[in-house]
Amino acid sequence: MMDKKTRDILITNFFAVVLGLMLSGIMILFLKKNPFSVFGILFSSMFRDGYTIGEIFVKATPLIFTALAFAFTFKASLFNIGAQGQFYIGSITAVTVSLLLPTALAIPLAIILSFITSGLWGGFIGVAKAKFKANEFLISMMSTYVALNLMNYLLRTVLMENKGEYPQTESLARSTWLFKIVPHTRLHFGFILAILAAVTVWLILYRTTFGFRIRAVGQNQEAARMSGVNPEKIYIISFIISGGLAGLAGVTEVNGVQHMLLQGFNPSIGALGIGIAILANGNPIGIIFASILFGALHVGGTIMGQLSGVPSSIINLMEGFVMVFVIISYYVRRRWEMNRDKKLLMEGIA
Amino acid sequence: MVSFQGNDMSTPFFELQHISKYFAKVIANKDVSLSVDRGEVLALLGENGAGKSTCMKILYGLYQADEGEIFKEGNRISIKTPRDAMHHKISMIQQHFSLVSAHTVTENIILGNVKGRINWKEAEQTIQQLADRYGFNVDVRKKVQDLSVGEQQKVEILKSLYLDANLLIMDEPTAVLTPQEIDNLMEFVKDYSKKGNAVIFITHKLKEVMHVANRIIVMRSGKVFGNVLKEATNEMELSRMMIEHSIEELDKGTDERPKGEVCLSVKGLTVAPKNAVPLLHDVDFEIHKGEIFGIAGVSGNGQQELCMTLCGAMKSTSGTIRLNEQDITHLSVAKRITMGMGYVPSDRHRYGMVMDMNLSENMLLKASYYGTWSNHGIINRKKLAETTSAMLKKYDVKAPGPYALARELSGGNQQKVIVGREVEFCGDFIIFDQPTRGLDLGAINNVHSAILKEKKHNKAIMLVSTELSEIFALCDRVAVFYKGEIQGIFRTSELDSQKIGLLMAGYTHREVV
Amino acid sequence: MLINLFSRAVMMSTPLLLGSLSEVFSERTGVMVTAIEGIFLMGAWAGFTAAYITGSLAMGLLYAALAGLLVAMLYAYIVVTLKQHQIVTGTAINILILGLCSFLQRVVFGVPLSPLTVEPLQKIAIPLLSKIPFVGPIFFNQNILTYSIYLLVPLGYFILYKTSLGLVIRSTGENPEAVDVSGISVSKVRFVTVSISGIICGIAGAFYSIGYLGMFTTNMIGGRGWIAFAICFLGNWNPIGAFVGTLVFGLAEAFAILMQANASTILPNELFISLPYILTIVLTISRRSFNVPSKLGVAYYEEH
Repeated sequence: MMDKKTRDILITNFFAVVLGLMLSGIMILFLKKNPFSVFGILFSSMFRDGYTIGEIFVKATPLIFTALAFAFTFKASLFNIGAQGQFYIGSITAVTVSLLLPTALAIPLAIILSFITSGLWGGFIGVAKAKFKANEFLISMMSTYVALNLMNYLLRTVLMENKGEYPQTESLARSTWLFKIVPHTRLHFGFILAILAAVTVWLILYRTTFGFRIRAVGQNQEAARMSGVNPEKIYIISFIISGGLAGLAGVTEVNGVQHMLLQGFNPSIGALGIGIAILANGNPIGIIFASILFGALHVGGTIMGQLSGVPSSIINLMEGFVMVFVIISYYVRRRWEMNRDKKLLMEGIA
Repeated sequence: MVSFQGNDMSTPFFELQHISKYFAKVIANKDVSLSVDRGEVLALLGENGAGKSTCMKILYGLYQADEGEIFKEGNRISIKTPRDAMHHKISMIQQHFSLVSAHTVTENIILGNVKGRINWKEAEQTIQQLADRYGFNVDVRKKVQDLSVGEQQKVEILKSLYLDANLLIMDEPTAVLTPQEIDNLMEFVKDYSKKGNAVIFITHKLKEVMHVANRIIVMRSGKVFGNVLKEATNEMELSRMMIEHSIEELDKGTDERPKGEVCLSVKGLTVAPKNAVPLLHDVDFEIHKGEIFGIAGVSGNGQQELCMTLCGAMKSTSGTIRLNEQDITHLSVAKRITMGMGYVPSDRHRYGMVMDMNLSENMLLKASYYGTWSNHGIINRKKLAETTSAMLKKYDVKAPGPYALARELSGGNQQKVIVGREVEFCGDFIIFDQPTRGLDLGAINNVHSAILKEKKHNKAIMLVSTELSEIFALCDRVAVFYKGEIQGIFRTSELDSQKIGLLMAGYTHREVV
Repeated sequence: MLINLFSRAVMMSTPLLLGSLSEVFSERTGVMVTAIEGIFLMGAWAGFTAAYITGSLAMGLLYAALAGLLVAMLYAYIVVTLKQHQIVTGTAINILILGLCSFLQRVVFGVPLSPLTVEPLQKIAIPLLSKIPFVGPIFFNQNILTYSIYLLVPLGYFILYKTSLGLVIRSTGENPEAVDVSGISVSKVRFVTVSISGIICGIAGAFYSIGYLGMFTTNMIGGRGWIAFAICFLGNWNPIGAFVGTLVFGLAEAFAILMQANASTILPNELFISLPYILTIVLTISRRSFNVPSKLGVAYYEEH
């Protein structure tokens, strides 16, 4: 379905990314470094070996989940800004299950329980919105900070390592690690899970009556209500699913990458998920690709740090610039469309 | 093109010359030239979409013309914003009032007309005096949202008077008024023009035109089609000028007595929110199969609440609703849909369709709980598209296909889709809520014939309308609503527009018949 | 000790009130400044950096205001002029600012061996008034930023309800079309109001770096910009409501700091840190917002 609209999206997003990177390059100048050489090193190093390429997908995995989380509720015109917090809840669940049950059984159990706990954490927001018409934007925003503090507290007490030195858990037993799908990399099964999740979300939204109803509520709540849909039920269910998706990122990061839980890891995957969802226009398949892009930016930024001495904040900078340009590209596309229509009209008259 | 020059050959007060306006998807105005003199009431007549509002919005500075010029008393003037228009003492009252409902009358009128610190007491006094001077009975300290529609219109007019406007443009001003309020408005217009001011009156209602206008300009498809003095024409001729093809007369069906068994039965229906005026009070009526039952009344008198409670979107406080003997009062919307209730809503953008979805999906809106096009929750897209295509064909909808977006269709075609959807998939009872609002005559005719066809199919039909001509043309019986209550139920043959007008304004059954 | 607590509360309320007041004005025109957290951070960074380099706190505040203005203008351009989505744009800008501040910190200061500090704003006791028992030390022994809010709240109320500017602002958020047909540019009203919000929020952010702690870290705002945002909601878009809401939160925050400092082992620290956020959630649910500006968050398309 490569119609004009999709073509426009691909072109403008490409340019948005390029412009975002260029602007970041200009910032690098301020560090008295040569952006061309820095980016040159970046591109050549990014694909230098299998491990680095694998890292791109490792980084992309949790982003796919948090982006799906935002996109799912976005389709219902709801704003789940709390994916970061739901991710923390999922992480806590995953690590707890894995610590208590240090066998391979922990993995499917962690997946199911993380989805449930973070789903409930998110579902609470949905209930507040449905029953009390509360502003979900604010509540989801605040819930992240509560989840963060909860996690910090647990890491300092119940979940703390036996040594008692740092606020982190013991390392997880090997049997609870998500198995690697590509040898000599860190790329793990979680990535496959993420792809499956994205495809499933796509199928639900576009091929089932349930997903149809979610989108109907998102696009015209009153018409949906007239058609027999109960918007309040939709609110609650979408937040549960959304929260659950974000929580699954917790499993992939805890069981797939860190193999433990500590403070301050993946601090912005929630917000980045939002950016990625926008970049992909809310389309689950597009989210896969956009997440890979952001994963690449992350890896690239790390390489820049290792090889060129550029600080890690360049990553946020690149991500931020790209997001801003993507937003502007929405406007550009709309102008193109209007001009195209007007031109057609004028030709029709002449 | 029919054109007479006015007797007075002096320079017109305001004149538009060769105005053209192109939008992204349509030519709104093409080479439009018209003028208005001091003391004249000019009617701008035409179907919906003829381009009347557009050229007036250009005169008022809300739109910029792509071609053409504006003149005042022979001098070329430039109007780029409403500020410029107001500077030239032009004022415009639009169909959708641009008032801030949460603010008071005073706040609304002085918006943009006052600087610096506001002395509220003084402002209120001045506005009240202005209102009293024109005989407008309005409390300037009341919030606009607490006023009736007629009163809100008065606020709009007051705003123009406050600005000392000499040219008043009114866009479909009578759409939301009772017949008596319309008379009041006409009196004001005559009075105002006698003072040497000019009025341009956009409308599609022939009766009003003949009542109050001095001169009439007819527009069609963005062009000026006729320019006549009232004395030189009549309704028939104007009607012919307005439309392109003739409209066939529709046969209502001879027997007005309700035949068939009772399909819908409403008893004691009340919607009374706490600490507020009841929106519906003790409503009783029955609708038989094969009958078209009209709900008349000025909009805002409970019709919306009636439709909402019938379809299940609003909870009633007390009373019962029975469909084919079954009590549906507490059933959900989804349940009522599966029981066969059809509903063509008044606001298709808000309640009827999802504009950004395609036509297939809009069909699915109706029946996502049915299982007609889905299997265990998975949509059968092929079947859905086929059914949609067939429906589009049957109702003569001009659309590229089932995957076209709803917003791409014209208003008339959108309405056809909704009517088709509800009619094809409903059971015995269907509600039509202002189904022809905003449509051109051709589309109106289509909808009317669809309604009459369903009557022949022995369906029970409830038609809510603010257009009396529509009520008289289609309905067998009619209930008149005023402030949430039924003023009376009559056979349409028992009523005429004067009687129905009085009922709509609150007079009771006894006082009128 | 109680006096200390209340005095602290008033002090901690200052940036929250500055932020929520400016948010009230912006939202009354229909624009949610979702970039508020980023603006606070930018102000904190710019204020600190300028103060450190020039040695003058006044300079710091000036640059904080300027930085806030620039970020707000970017936000306003995308949201008001280009009419893009407010929540999405704010999120993007917040991420950008996060990276930018950290990056610029490295550009300007490199990697310092020990944390950089400045002397924070001093308290200035107002003669006579500060001697009033109980009330005196709480309200009249504060820094100038705090004193400024004593003026800004009544000023804000006056402007909003008693001037034509206020009427225009309030009408823009309720029905921009009404403002448009009166000949006033809706875009201009929104753009300017958001820009001024930026100035005030920039200064509010600087409070954390140069008004209180005397240093800068990238996570020092910690969601307080969002709390100011929430207070606007909870205060019903009214300067007086914002004032009350802010005091409540300021108290909660001061209480939290007090509890933490006294090493309470019964209840965990994290609970107290979470207090403001939990409070926001509870209040958001329990309060039915009555006066949401009708067109809040909706872009207005002028047809001319």
